Amino acid sequence: MTTAAAEFRGVTQRFGDFTAVDGIDLAIAEGKLTTLLGPSGCGKTTSLRMLAGYSAPTSGTIHIHGTDSTRLPPEKRDLGMVFQSYALFPHLTVADNVAYGLKVRRVPKPERAKRVAEVLGLVGLDHLAANRPKQLSGGQQQRVALARAIAIRPRLLLLDEPLSNLDARLRVQMRAEIRRIQAETGLTVVLVTHDQDEALEMSDDMVLMRAGTIMQQGSPQDVFARPANRFVADFLGYENFLTVGGRHLTVRPEHLTLGDGGGELRLDVTVVSTAFRGVDVLVTLEAVDDTGTVRLLADLRGQPSLTPGARTTVHAAPQHLVTLDERA
Amino acid sequence: MTTRRPVAATLAVLGYVIMIVPILFVVAVAFTSGSTLQFPPDGFSTRWFGAALRYGPFMDSLVSSLELAVVATVLALLLGVPVAIAIHRGRIPGKGFLEGLFLSPLIVPELVVGLALYQQLMIGLDLDNRTTLLLGHTALLLPYAVRVTGASLALADPAIEEAARGLGASPTRAFFSVTLPILRPGIFSAGLLGFVTSFNNVPLSLLLQDREFRTLPVTMLDYVQQSYNPMIAAMATLILAATVVIAVVAERTVGFAQIFGGINR
Repeated sequence: MTTAAAEFRGVTQRFGDFTAVDGIDLAIAEGKLTTLLGPSGCGKTTSLRMLAGYSAPTSGTIHIHGTDSTRLPPEKRDLGMVFQSYALFPHLTVADNVAYGLKVRRVPKPERAKRVAEVLGLVGLDHLAANRPKQLSGGQQQRVALARAIAIRPRLLLLDEPLSNLDARLRVQMRAEIRRIQAETGLTVVLVTHDQDEALEMSDDMVLMRAGTIMQQGSPQDVFARPANRFVADFLGYENFLTVGGRHLTVRPEHLTLGDGGGELRLDVTVVSTAFRGVDVLVTLEAVDDTGTVRLLADLRGQPSLTPGARTTVHAAPQHLVTLDERA
Repeated sequence: MTTRRPVAATLAVLGYVIMIVPILFVVAVAFTSGSTLQFPPDGFSTRWFGAALRYGPFMDSLVSSLELAVVATVLALLLGVPVAIAIHRGRIPGKGFLEGLFLSPLIVPELVVGLALYQQLMIGLDLDNRTTLLLGHTALLLPYAVRVTGASLALADPAIEEAARGLGASPTRAFFSVTLPILRPGIFSAGLLGFVTSFNNVPLSLLLQDREFRTLPVTMLDYVQQSYNPMIAAMATLILAATVVIAVVAERTVGFAQIFGGINR
């Protein structure tokens, strides 16, 4: 077994009566990009801050590269952190911001200048080295924060919602950019996000959190295809939850097909309403399962239009049906 | 901004007129060649400025006032800035109470403070009036040091210090290389406000004066009570000119918006 880049063992964090993180065990794989994904208040940022050393767990231990680092102050951890607010030093130029960590490490001046130029080149900001953070756009500030964190050649790169302050187009662009930088540097990256698309697109390993606990961990493909429970399925957009023959099932709207296909799941439904969405047509249906009447959402693109009140049948192929651990 | 709100703009202009016009009268009277404080002035001369600058009690008390203002401001900053940092960044219980305590000199009538200091320090501890005045002014300026520095701390992103720590800086290094430079405009404006407040103070200085050490405003007040001539207007104009110079320099170097804690940003 290889040593994990970082490991949480039974880590709990309480703030007064509130338990932000509730006894999590988590291994962060070396050289991979791991995302902590979940709604606000799920404990993902608290976990990242404990990993960075900004707050100490109430109980449990955090190991970094196999060494117990639970009580190590942030300046002794050698981690690069990118804050949601970027937290650039407003009184320093871009180059001095990036050089800060190197100066602290007493890297000699020529070497320092070389490394600053190198990372600024990596994030494509060489031409702005002499500017102050205030003169930069949000996207550029974000790159400076990234460059500053990478410059110290950290053991881990921690990103706290790094893209949430950018506009939608830039956000999508930066996802690929961060992946490229990770590939070029070979860094182990831990990224906190509440955006499932971001997590699916960027992660090697995805950790879904809720109310301070880990709901599921795995590759985006695995988690997306086989959500473990209703929370994960819901968070990843499964929408339809039913109980049939005592089994808790879920199926994505696009995997419901009109007609009696003879698949594993076959339901008689009544059309409630339809919504035209351009490429797809979302149809709200009513069906009866073990518990009574349930509402379903079907994406019936390219299929004959349905009028509210119409009765028909939908089915789903077995490979698209997911059985959940529990209903809650 | 002003063009879109005619009522607010009119009120603002009116406010400035009410504040500035009486001052213009004082300035005009200072340049009279006559020997009475009256408007319009009799002719033009600068003789009263010369007289003010040659008048011993004014110059002695000016030196006292400057000394008092500078030392009290420095002391208030040395005490107030750490307090502001402790209140905003530290993990200490009773932050609200602590902040209230340091802001209280703003609320307690200065005459009460002055009387208390007179009784306890000058009579009780037998301190001289210079030391007592210094302590009194320092207490008076503390709210500015705590509040103005606190305002710029509250506006600064706490993650900036965390970022410095994460990059390997010890808490001390993070403080001196990041926190303090960010606070500099706030500290500068607290200092400026403190200096002006101390320099202009009358109630405290009045109660704690004696023949040896007395501030300029108190001396001017004394003078007006005895002789009512244009020299007082000339002295007032000189102070006004110095204040304007300070304000202009401050505006040029850091900018007023920054000096006043960047609250209007």
